[in-house]
Amino acid sequence: MPKVKIDGVELEVPAGITVLQACELAGLEIPRFCYHDRLSIAGNCRMCLVEVKPGPPKPQASCALPVADKQEIFTQTPTVQKARKGVMEFLLINHPLDCPICDQGGECDLQDQAMAYGFDRSRYHENKRAVPDKELGPLVKTSMNRCIHCTRCIRFATEVAGVEQLGATGRGESMEVTTYVEQALATELSGNLVDLCPVGALTSKPYAFEARSWELTKTESVDVLDALGSNIRIDTRGAQVMRVLPRLNDDVNEEWISDKTRHAIDGLRHQRLDRPYVRKGNKLVEATWDEAFGAIAAKLNGMEGSKIAAIAGDQCDAESMIALKDLLTALGSPNIDCRQDGAKLDGPRGSYIFNPGVRGIDQADAILLVGTNPRAESPVLNARIRKRYVHGNVAIASIGPAEDLTYPVVRLGAGPATLRDLVDGKLDFAQKLQGAKHPLIIVGMGALSREDGAAVLAMARELAEKLNAVREDWNGFAVLHTAAARVGGLDLGLVPGEGGRDVAGILEGCQKKEIEAVFLLAADEIDTTKLGKAFVIYQGHHGDAGAHRADVILPGAAYTEKPGIYVNTEGRVQVGRRAGYPPGDAREDWAILRALSERLGKTLPYDTLHQVRSRLVAVNKVFAAIDQQAPAAWGPFGKAGATTDVPFKSAVANFYMTCPISRASKIMADCMASRSHLMAAE
Amino acid sequence: MIIGTWLFTKMRGELVGTDAEGNRYFQDKRVVAGTRRKRWVMYNGVAEASRVPPEWHGWLHHMLADPPPAGGAPRKPWQKDHQPNLTGTDLAYRPPGHTLSTGEKPKPPYEAWRPG
Repeated sequence: MPKVKIDGVELEVPAGITVLQACELAGLEIPRFCYHDRLSIAGNCRMCLVEVKPGPPKPQASCALPVADKQEIFTQTPTVQKARKGVMEFLLINHPLDCPICDQGGECDLQDQAMAYGFDRSRYHENKRAVPDKELGPLVKTSMNRCIHCTRCIRFATEVAGVEQLGATGRGESMEVTTYVEQALATELSGNLVDLCPVGALTSKPYAFEARSWELTKTESVDVLDALGSNIRIDTRGAQVMRVLPRLNDDVNEEWISDKTRHAIDGLRHQRLDRPYVRKGNKLVEATWDEAFGAIAAKLNGMEGSKIAAIAGDQCDAESMIALKDLLTALGSPNIDCRQDGAKLDGPRGSYIFNPGVRGIDQADAILLVGTNPRAESPVLNARIRKRYVHGNVAIASIGPAEDLTYPVVRLGAGPATLRDLVDGKLDFAQKLQGAKHPLIIVGMGALSREDGAAVLAMARELAEKLNAVREDWNGFAVLHTAAARVGGLDLGLVPGEGGRDVAGILEGCQKKEIEAVFLLAADEIDTTKLGKAFVIYQGHHGDAGAHRADVILPGAAYTEKPGIYVNTEGRVQVGRRAGYPPGDAREDWAILRALSERLGKTLPYDTLHQVRSRLVAVNKVFAAIDQQAPAAWGPFGKAGATTDVPFKSAVANFYMTCPISRASKIMADCMASRSHLMAAE
Repeated sequence: MIIGTWLFTKMRGELVGTDAEGNRYFQDKRVVAGTRRKRWVMYNGVAEASRVPPEWHGWLHHMLADPPPAGGAPRKPWQKDHQPNLTGTDLAYRPPGHTLSTGEKPKPPYEAWRPG
């Protein structure tokens, strides 16, 4: 390990890092614009100049200079200061002085660094450069006069997002960042460009002129719009969620989030359930909580347990799910399910989580995708696979839908038959998997939520065991979920009990009048026309499919409005925090269920959030280990059997609209329109 | 009306003029070389500084040498009538959403679902 001396302090640093990184290890902040931890090094802004001995007698760009043994680095000398001031003055030659009307104001790298290195007046009398603005789609607003050509956006689009649409034309003063042909960015990660831009050249279009960064209350929380559970920061002003930004977590989302996570929040302002409703005659009529509970009690009291059923939705927090399960148990009903899509998952924990973790993708050397389109199901996870691809030396193949995943994928086939061939070692790729040290098999909901899902799951297990992918130091069996609540639900055992019915069974029972009451906990993805004449209680936050069919509506809270625990696809337990209060009369979901249980005479044994969480831990110990991930118990699961020839479909047909929140979002609708326009042009 | 000011006005005041509200404006009778003459106002009613109209305000604070002509200063067509500060009175401004404000209440920050 090289030893360097930084500003007179000796330090041992890992070999192969840059001088800038070494300075950061020493606790010094070097100003920079173009350098970014997760992108390739460009070295073109020249803001990170330092003096290095031995070396040429001029300041060096520290971001592009590798450390060497016995190097002496000076970061605060008068030469360095003068050089940085010079660079800043050059950058400001063409940068407009429009901070007061710029959305980046208050969180702008250039603004901040100009405070330290800026000259207080201009020595240039020429007109500033004018650059036409570019059209980058419905999410990214451009103001290209402000661009300082750091090329972070170009590098992000090419390296991380995998769309080679952004580039630069011209040189020197004539340089322009552009898409060459005017078109929206065809990526689900375009919102990150706004975060990356160190100035106000790329800003958020939906958030334009909405708020200033210092007016916002910041709440650290977890995303529920896909199963990855990206770590987010929710910025609110008063009751309104103004924006969502990513939070750093190298184990989950690094520092990216998808466009849906970031921009579907306007859906939280539309179609909200803000008061209870009770169906009278053929019409839903506004009611008080008391009337709503009364209507439920009148119906359920004395009803046989086996005639009651409950379905938990895709975005429920663990607290409300355990309250629902406990209530149903108290009512004597085994008919409960959290798998709205009918996925055939209920084995040991190892059978339904992404065992290697997102970090495991970095280690994998052969990846097989079964019935999944990670780009639509979890774009940030897809970017992680792409990162692995860019790193090199990995074979990626897929069985299922042929989609552009932003990296080359060998398509082996479309359906279960191909998977069978692979298990039997008939395909060339089988050898590659066999030879791999860390084979990774990602099974999507497209393969599991079908009639023969259990057989496909059994085949995937057989393959994993045959490849020795499940062993002491590596578990390469990974299930990619589409719903944020699914792993939590399975951990809490929201699956049919003895003699109980699953979602399909419940719907069938409704039509045969064997089920008379159904409790939908924010469950909107089922076919509500199949609920027949059953008495439907819907508890949720949006007026979506479930609410339209409901006989009683109990208004609940969306994920930004309640503290809640979510378990992501890796089996990582994460805590979401409340950023605001639910609208109108709506309440936190577990509290509604607790109040209802009292009216039904089956009072649940918890009164505070702490008690509910203690109950969670009592049911399953994983809830005690917050933000930890490890491969889980392995055992027999799946059910070997006949498979059909129906090809695998991706579980997410449309990335932009997958849940009540994103369906209520106008911005997501705009994104969809822009994307289909783009597809039509191709 | 404060007795001291009333007495002072009786002894030393010279009436300069009266505004539309009936407030009377005085200046010191005596002229002392090298000093400026004291100017003050006797309110017709409540002593509330914002009742002084702008043209008299200018004179009172020695911004104008001469008092406004009798019948008021010449006005432009776009000038509005002077209005005293209404804070603390019933006519005070109250933002929309204030419990005492009349008129349209602000909408909630969300759009509620209504069964169709």
